[in-house]
Amino acid sequence: MDGIGATHIDHIVISSSDAAVVADTFRRNLGIEIKRTMTRPGTGAQLAFAKLQEIILEFAGPPAPKPGDEVKARLWGIVLAVRDIRAAVERLRSLGYDVGDPKPAVQPGALIATIKSGTHGVPFALIQYGTPPATPGAAT
Amino acid sequence: MKALRIDHVGIVVKDLEQATATYARHFDLQVDPARGGELPALGIKNAFMPIGESALEFIQPLTDQGPVAQFAKERGEGQYLLSIEVDDVAAAVEHLRGLGYRVGEPNNGIAFVSPKSSHGVNLQLIQRSAR
Repeated sequence: MDGIGATHIDHIVISSSDAAVVADTFRRNLGIEIKRTMTRPGTGAQLAFAKLQEIILEFAGPPAPKPGDEVKARLWGIVLAVRDIRAAVERLRSLGYDVGDPKPAVQPGALIATIKSGTHGVPFALIQYGTPPATPGAAT
Repeated sequence: MKALRIDHVGIVVKDLEQATATYARHFDLQVDPARGGELPALGIKNAFMPIGESALEFIQPLTDQGPVAQFAKERGEGQYLLSIEVDDVAAAVEHLRGLGYRVGEPNNGIAFVSPKSSHGVNLQLIQRSAR
């Protein structure tokens, strides 16, 4: 495999001091429908998700926003969808990137791996939904 | 106002050629020759690398003035802007101004929303189809 087999931007993360407030601003003022909200298991981070065609906007914030504080947000990371996350991770590691092992994502059935350096200041991750395509010629 | 699609994500970099070469070699993205170049009025040069229905826009400041240069000074490289496609940019600008947003005048189908109006997130509205 020459490249990482990225097919599209899967989601864009907007990190903030209050995910619910920022998601509601985008909903009310920009007409972006919030499809799902959840608490991230383990960390308690508050998450809200919207989808514009193939791209998910993920609004992320701390478990307990401080009431009264000015709500601040910033574009944070980008997640690229790949067909075969293990092959993509292997490829990037061979190029010298520090990439975490694929682990279950909050999206059911998906695997995610974080690229920890070398991406010009943008935190990137890779995500794979479902099983990768069979390798041509491989025994079945 | 109807947000249709994420048109692109803008990423500020120190060296445009180096950044696009990295993303071409390691992430299989290709520069779209039909978009990008030097924009002296904005003090930047940029390049677009399509991926799926969207694109990554890499932006290098060419001067030490303006919002891109300011971002680079304060944060270095990183995600700078979210470009949202709308069906009618003039109507979207009017809508947001009516809500108290600070929005620039549309130019060539593009309008910039002040980050002060969106919790600090730089937004661009873009209309692809002519009306």
